[in-house]
Amino acid sequence: MISLILILLASLFFTGLVIWTKSITSGRKGPGIFQPLKDVLRLFKKGAVYSKTTGIIFQVAPTIYFASVMMAIFVVPFGQARGFISFEGDFVFFAYVLATGKFFSIISALDTGSSFEGMGASREALFSMFAEPAFFILMGSFALLTGHSSFQGIFTAMHFTTKFSYALGALATFVLVIIAMVENSRMPFDDPKTHLELTMVHEVMILDNSGFDLGLILYTTNLKFAMYGALIANFFIGAIPWYLALLVFFGVQFVFAITIGLIESFTARFRMSHNAQYIFALSSVSLLIFFGVLLVLGKFI
Amino acid sequence: MNEKKWINLVLMGDSNLLILNFIVTFFGLLLILISPAKWKSGLLLLLVIFNSFLTSVPAIHALTGTPLNIIISRFSPFGPIPVRIDALAAWFILIINFTCITGVLYGKKYMEAYKEQKGNLSMHWTLYLLFHFSMVSVCMVQNSIAFLIAWELMSLSSLLLVVFDHQNKKTLHAGINYLVQMHIGVLFLTSAFIWVYFSEGSFDFTAIGRALNNHTGIWLFFLFFVGFGIKAGFTFMHTWLPHAHPAAPSHISGVMSGVIVKLGIYGILRVAFMLKQDYLLIGQFVLIFSIVTGLFGILNAAVHRDFKKMLAYCTIENIGIIGTGIGIGIIGMGNNNSLLMILGFSGALLHTLNHSLFKSLLFFSAGSVYQQTHSRDMEKLGGLAKYMPKTAMTFLIGAIAICGLPPFNGFVSEFILYSGYVEGIKVLPISQTILMVISIACLAIIGGISMLAFTKSYGTIFLGNARTPLHDQPQETSFMTRFPLYLIILVMLSVGIFPQFYFSVLINVISTSVPGGIVNNFAGYDNLLPVISSVGRYSLAFLCFTVLIYFLRNRLMQNRTENIAGTWGCGYAAPNVKMQYTGKSFSKPIAKLLNFVVLEKKKFTEIPKNEVFPLERDYSSHYIDFFESNIINKVVDKIVYAANYFQFIQNGKIQAYVLYGIFFIILIFLGTAINII
Repeated sequence: MISLILILLASLFFTGLVIWTKSITSGRKGPGIFQPLKDVLRLFKKGAVYSKTTGIIFQVAPTIYFASVMMAIFVVPFGQARGFISFEGDFVFFAYVLATGKFFSIISALDTGSSFEGMGASREALFSMFAEPAFFILMGSFALLTGHSSFQGIFTAMHFTTKFSYALGALATFVLVIIAMVENSRMPFDDPKTHLELTMVHEVMILDNSGFDLGLILYTTNLKFAMYGALIANFFIGAIPWYLALLVFFGVQFVFAITIGLIESFTARFRMSHNAQYIFALSSVSLLIFFGVLLVLGKFI
Repeated sequence: MNEKKWINLVLMGDSNLLILNFIVTFFGLLLILISPAKWKSGLLLLLVIFNSFLTSVPAIHALTGTPLNIIISRFSPFGPIPVRIDALAAWFILIINFTCITGVLYGKKYMEAYKEQKGNLSMHWTLYLLFHFSMVSVCMVQNSIAFLIAWELMSLSSLLLVVFDHQNKKTLHAGINYLVQMHIGVLFLTSAFIWVYFSEGSFDFTAIGRALNNHTGIWLFFLFFVGFGIKAGFTFMHTWLPHAHPAAPSHISGVMSGVIVKLGIYGILRVAFMLKQDYLLIGQFVLIFSIVTGLFGILNAAVHRDFKKMLAYCTIENIGIIGTGIGIGIIGMGNNNSLLMILGFSGALLHTLNHSLFKSLLFFSAGSVYQQTHSRDMEKLGGLAKYMPKTAMTFLIGAIAICGLPPFNGFVSEFILYSGYVEGIKVLPISQTILMVISIACLAIIGGISMLAFTKSYGTIFLGNARTPLHDQPQETSFMTRFPLYLIILVMLSVGIFPQFYFSVLINVISTSVPGGIVNNFAGYDNLLPVISSVGRYSLAFLCFTVLIYFLRNRLMQNRTENIAGTWGCGYAAPNVKMQYTGKSFSKPIAKLLNFVVLEKKKFTEIPKNEVFPLERDYSSHYIDFFESNIINKVVDKIVYAANYFQFIQNGKIQAYVLYGIFFIILIFLGTAINII
């Protein structure tokens, strides 16, 4: 319950903060941090234009996409305070419910019968497929480390006992940041500001969406960022008092947003054909975490 | 006293029902043959439903705790035939019955298009009854020879059902391929049964358990595994599937993919439950082999453009997923961990049910598409959701379920398997933990690729614009055609939303099937059931939440302006349907990345340097099966080459054949004379 409110709060300024950072680093003043939210609100008030090729799938897909991310947010805990939904193995539910949303956003892109949108859909399907094992290995490793298999159980039982476990936390943060970048189609993998349809991933899929649906999709991106930020924050919250935990939560969200801004300012987009390999390499980082966990537990004899 | 009498009566009743089942089948076959053409399918439907009822009653009794165990000793030329319906058999019998009923409901309408071929159709319906009967018998008889007869009856009747369209050369080729491969499987099974007979002196299945207990038991298991694995379609033994499924009429593909391959799984489980040693080795072997099967199957499914072939490869993937469950279960037995064992086996068994549901749903929907468009090539289709919205919906539901996404049933079984892996990671010793982590990653990849495969198929067939003009405009199928599909969706939703019911039945199946010593502490149950039920609850919550938001959105949009325009074409003024993204290009990136497994064959002539004005030319490419083209075909070619040298034996002269007979008789005579035989 607390996590839901906090994530919703963080989602209000997250993308704004990213854009603000990018503006500052490129020497511009930049819009206010609530500008993306205002854009979404403006879109919510508008009517819609539909392609004559599209059908019902195109109209329900943004809703399902939004609902799936909300459902995933319900699973995310805040330190020891569990989310709305919490059971053993809830991280599987988390990953699969997000996949349902992705399934619909992919087929809604195909529903337009466009020559570009299928391209983005294909890439989205491929990249998220490669990101999936990294997440599962990561969660498997933490299940091994803590002996729990729900988000709340894992995060509550996480103790940074040895120096080594700090390294694990750092690596896990790295994995989650990259997964968040892939899932939200951000810079090294996809340039949201590109003007060429051929090089887009996520943006090209929503070319035909307009009005309320577009607003919903854009807002869902904010939510998704805040959700991953919350997951990362949970690694560090553990069992500290609530006021410190709040501080850590927003601190992590701020740092996360600014990091994304900085990455986007100083890197160029990867070559599309190299993306898959790069994302798949993430699984090896996850495996590194797994071997680290084995070391911590003394299973290597 | 009274209670015991009652139980006896019920058991007696059950065996009577089975006898009735036999009689109904026998006379039913004759009845269908002699009845007028227009009644045949209706009659078959009645008979299948009646037979299903007769066998489901003992099956339900077995699941609720009174297994059936009768021994037929009269009329049997090869010793007493034990007929046992235990919980494991009952689970499969119920799956078979349901899929066969929906199959005949759908097939009745599907085959109306072929009503001129009266003789052919009469044969088809007759065989369907026999096919259903033989599949149920396979689950019940526990005498090796009777089992092989039932098994063979099943293979042959399904073969003849597959080659309904026997004028088509490709269909016939697929049929012969199926026939040969099934008999290679029977060869392995027969040798395994002979092995059991010689070591234990009995044809009863209980002897298998004793034979597996020997120190060579592991090899016996592998014989059984290969024999049943060919039927199930594990990779390397799968090559009949992608040929037979597209060739068969759709209701037959649905039933074959839904249940016939599952009988291979039944056999493997039957043998696996009798294991008493070598658990770890066997479990790890099954797990690794299944994961390779899953990856290989789904990778091929993602690239093929014939949608029935795509579904056939997807069956291979799902057999892989079921196999991983069996692997985890056996590893759990080896580690004396009942929780792991239950998670593995129940995941496998539940996925068996789930796959039979959504795969038949997909095949039936695909069959409707084929009948309306006369094409199995998805690149020629497109935009069908506009003409066949309801069929598009059923296919979509099947696709979501098969990708293992909530709120449908596929998610539940995959969730159980993931829980099994996580449990394995937590409790197992290090070497197996590493295997579990790799498996969990592979299952995630399989899930990812299946999403790619099904978004591609659904998107290419049903969405966008029609890619080529069709002869007739496709029309939505009749309600009666869709009725069995709705029935399947209902059951799928029940599994997705109330999984705890199915799970508790499965716990019963596993606890009664596994040898006693291993099931020691079932403490994990009490924690497990609420978790499983919460999966269903939250799936339902997801569904409701989505509906709620969609309702709110529509309320909000009610008074807004809504314009219809063309798809954004990047400013290009004259887009046409050929510019749509194709299914092939959708799956090209992954095919290119993994081109060492997914082999692409291209046919084209290059433009020579001096050809200044190139003429029109053709380019075609298709994907070929790695194992079939690289290993199996090469071996077969070698065998055929060697066999050529013996062609002189089969020379077509009757005189020569008579001579062979005489030679043989003399050989026997000499053999007995000098006491060799």
